[in-house]
Amino acid sequence: MTLITDHTDTELLRQVHAGQAAAFTTLYRRHQGPLYRYALLRCGSGDAAADIVQEAFMGLLTGRLGYDPLRGQLQHFLFGVARNLALKFDEARQRHPQLPETTDDEGEPDLDSASEADGPLARLLGNEAAEEIRRALSLLPPHYRDPVILYELHELSYQEIATVCQVDIGTVRSRLARGRAALAKRLRPTLEGMT
Amino acid sequence: MMNNDDTIDPIDPALATRFAALRSELAGHDAPRCVEKELLQAFAKQFPKKQLWYRTLSLPQWGAAGALASLGGAGVLATLLLALAPHQAITVGPPLIGIDDGAAFIALESLERIEREPYTRVVEAELPQTALAPLGMPLNPQTAGGTVRAEMLVAEDGHPLALRLSAVN
Repeated sequence: MTLITDHTDTELLRQVHAGQAAAFTTLYRRHQGPLYRYALLRCGSGDAAADIVQEAFMGLLTGRLGYDPLRGQLQHFLFGVARNLALKFDEARQRHPQLPETTDDEGEPDLDSASEADGPLARLLGNEAAEEIRRALSLLPPHYRDPVILYELHELSYQEIATVCQVDIGTVRSRLARGRAALAKRLRPTLEGMT
Repeated sequence: MMNNDDTIDPIDPALATRFAALRSELAGHDAPRCVEKELLQAFAKQFPKKQLWYRTLSLPQWGAAGALASLGGAGVLATLLLALAPHQAITVGPPLIGIDDGAAFIALESLERIEREPYTRVVEAELPQTALAPLGMPLNPQTAGGTVRAEMLVAEDGHPLALRLSAVN
């Protein structure tokens, strides 16, 4: 006998659209964790992360999102949906007055000048080292934050990140390198203390 | 899934340690339970369970169904009573037999009693011919083993008031 938890995402989705609640529950429990953790780091807010997870699965439930299994894994598709929802979250936050974004010589945003107001600094994690890098992550501009989170925390490949973020693979590589460099620079005092 | 690119850009080991701490710390973080609850409520709205047929009946339909069941039950009961002990089922005096539009009509109760009854019902029944002899109906030996289709007038409590014999099987 095959357990429902052994079913593929595609099979579970077919059952969901046939009205089987157990399939929906299995699918949700399989994917909610990574999606929530991505949204938590991306938005820096538990409430916003919960909203994003709920909105993403609601879209999956109603068929509004139009997931096509031939175009990639459901998990990566959901990351893309969550990213788009997080962008809306960013837009809502940016309605508040903000200083114009400074750029460096290459026209990219100056990571050192990222304001502490860009990311919520409320403590989310108990572990000091984890909380410190989470805070540093929250201060990265979103388009640097995405590849760092997806690569370092969710172990997606460059190609998969390129699909999620809808950029080419070279951009993923450069943004990841710049994001890491900015994190290292911000954390340098404590990192040097560790070595 | 592991990163599987041909060339992986190196990472500062101290930074890698921090990321490992973050991965470990985040491992226990899941979406709040209320999210699953709300999604399941939305699911239930989108895919409402099909109701069992008896839950789809309205109150008047239930009333009609109950009345039909009562009629059927009373018919079976009356048939059994007449078949097994017709002299006990008919409690009052000699039956009044008449011919009504070519069919035999047998009053099992007095006409006053029948007229007094506020709620009466007609029940279809099949009676053995032998059960009719005690009521004063002539018995044909050739059809004695057969049955007679009858309409029985019964009181609200199921008490038989009269019989109308419509056909001999």
